[in-house]
Amino acid sequence: MDETRPTLILDGVSKSFGDFRAVSDLSLQVRRGRIFGLIGPNGAGKTTTIRMIVNITVPDSGRIDLFGQPMSTALMDRIGYLPEERGLYKNMRVGEQLRFFAELKDVKGKEADARIDKWLARLQLTDWKQRKTKDLSKGMQQKVQFITSVIHEPDLLILDEPFSGLDPVNVEIMKDTILEQKSANKTIILSTHQMEIAESLCDDVCMINRSRKVLDGKLREIRRSFSRNAVALRFEGHDGLLRDPELVTNVRQVGDDLEVLLVPGMSPQTLLKRLIDADTVVTKFELVEPTLHDIFIAKVKETA
Amino acid sequence: MKKFFAVVKREYIQRVRSRFFVMATILGPILMFAFAVVPGLMFRINSGGPTRLAIVDQTGRMYERVAKELASENRFGEKSSEKPEGLSFNRDSTGRASQTGRNIKTSFAVEEVRLNGRSLDEVRKDLAARVASKNLDGFIVLPPDLLNGEQPEFRARNTADLFTKSKVENSINRALRSQRMFENGIDEKQIERMSVPVTLDAKDAGGVESKGESSFYLVFGLGLLIYISVLLYGQFVLAAVIEEKETRIAEILFSSMRAFPLMMGKLIGVSLVALTQLAIWAIAFLSFSAWLAGSSFTLPSIPPSAFFYFLLYFLLGYFTYATVYAVVGSMVTTTQEGGQFALPIVMLLVMAFYLSFNIIRSPNSPVAFWASMFPFFAPITMLVRIVTERPPLWQILLSLGIEIGTVIGLMWMAARIYRVGMLMYGKRATIPEVLRWIRQA
Repeated sequence: MDETRPTLILDGVSKSFGDFRAVSDLSLQVRRGRIFGLIGPNGAGKTTTIRMIVNITVPDSGRIDLFGQPMSTALMDRIGYLPEERGLYKNMRVGEQLRFFAELKDVKGKEADARIDKWLARLQLTDWKQRKTKDLSKGMQQKVQFITSVIHEPDLLILDEPFSGLDPVNVEIMKDTILEQKSANKTIILSTHQMEIAESLCDDVCMINRSRKVLDGKLREIRRSFSRNAVALRFEGHDGLLRDPELVTNVRQVGDDLEVLLVPGMSPQTLLKRLIDADTVVTKFELVEPTLHDIFIAKVKETA
Repeated sequence: MKKFFAVVKREYIQRVRSRFFVMATILGPILMFAFAVVPGLMFRINSGGPTRLAIVDQTGRMYERVAKELASENRFGEKSSEKPEGLSFNRDSTGRASQTGRNIKTSFAVEEVRLNGRSLDEVRKDLAARVASKNLDGFIVLPPDLLNGEQPEFRARNTADLFTKSKVENSINRALRSQRMFENGIDEKQIERMSVPVTLDAKDAGGVESKGESSFYLVFGLGLLIYISVLLYGQFVLAAVIEEKETRIAEILFSSMRAFPLMMGKLIGVSLVALTQLAIWAIAFLSFSAWLAGSSFTLPSIPPSAFFYFLLYFLLGYFTYATVYAVVGSMVTTTQEGGQFALPIVMLLVMAFYLSFNIIRSPNSPVAFWASMFPFFAPITMLVRIVTERPPLWQILLSLGIEIGTVIGLMWMAARIYRVGMLMYGKRATIPEVLRWIRQA
């Protein structure tokens, strides 16, 4: 496969349900071997977008290209999908359940069994293989569901809210697993409304709100472009220089820290030097990058 | 295609292994047997001892005859039950099975009460008191002008007991007839000769095979079996579809395969479960009758063609109803809603079953014809016709053609509705919406 070619291209995709416009004119590109965050509040159109990518629903207009081909049923086996709403057969044993979903993706026999055992061990579920699914806790069921989405080693993995309902320990396990998939050069689309999670995992993001794309690009670049030139500061000593209007535009208390907003164009280095020159003891000095949440809010206000 | 088999396999194995399947397979025949036998048993038990009747004979010459007829009423019952006939459970002392109604043993203990100078009203009051205190079950007053058409009077504790009432009525009628003949100068012996009753022995038109009751039970049993199996396995399909929709498993399924093979896999998987169960029952039935061969029990023999038609109409019936159930399941949001929506379907099936009673009586009436052409009735009604009195081949073929056409049409529609319906959450689909899906798909 051509390394430079995007794994997935959406070009002007729209979808309506009756009078309700779920996705309007959405274009995006997902590159290979990266984690792509599809973020936005509930009801923004994330799930509809994903359903079109996995070929459950067909767009009203626009084009979807996957692995360099137009979307088709033949490509379905190369996609792994963890839907937002978890669905497992409650009365099936975990092992049989995984076996069935493996067969649905055309993985069979010994190969399927080996992969199932490997994944159960990886996610600490081996002891539960012979138990009925309904006996498992929600978190465990979620891990089983995750296995169903990776059992066929898909090239594109689509995870819709993969962390909901997981305890902190399992969130870490899940994060590690996702990063492992990334290092195996798989492409991952992560849909979530939890901005912090997207921040900690994604390479690229696409923000959507009310069916429309608000912003997309590399996460690092987005954050840099939204940088407000702010510093989180903790120090002991005279604070007179913070009132210098040539240096600082605003100061506010954030927890134990002071958040200092510098005059545009002023380097944070200058502030640090001035603080040291003023004989203060600096205990914390950190550039504040805007959170995705902040960026999202700002962007939504801007477009509204 | 491989995925289709994966669906069939899952559906089949999960169900056949379930506790419900094992229980239903074992208990099914027991329950069916109980349905056929228990009502008969109940009648027997309730009838208890002999019915105690007092007779006030104001004619002064009828008591003997009425008492004799009441006694013979009893004997007739015994007589016909001794006749060996197909399903003959009532030959041994414990079985009472099949022949409900006609020969319930109602023996009568009769006593004569004379006026002895008292007024009729006094005697009536006296007897009514005895009935009330349960040392008598009823009494008959034969008025003085009975022979000239005056009506007798029958009072009983249980006026709802129609069997006793009709027996009393018949006995009085027969006694009256003989008495009238006697009074017109015909001698006793002649009267007896003139009153010898007949017993009908029903054979089919060719006179070859004596069907009679055993055939009735066979037809009834096959109709009941189709009715129950289609209902049961149709409901399974409904429940399975709703489960996949409610738990959103559908989403993963649809992201792995197309809707049509998925739906077909489900329908066929469940049908194989049903066939497995029927096969177990058939084998059990056949080995049971082989084991019984030569003993005093005989089960009705089933002609091989009946097996064939049963299988054919069961499958057609199943696919007709199960497809509709699958559609309903994909339209609703909860199991309860599914139950409500499925009610009209169940009603159709119930109607077909009840129609079969009428059809057993007259299998070639216009009602029977039309009922066996209507695709939602035909699986039961046509089978009933075929087994009772085989209709012309063209009718069978026509009904099969209509049935197969219906199944194909329903599946074509269902595939369109299924895909959209299964992914629609939150609210129930309306009929106009569904019609739009069919047009647009």
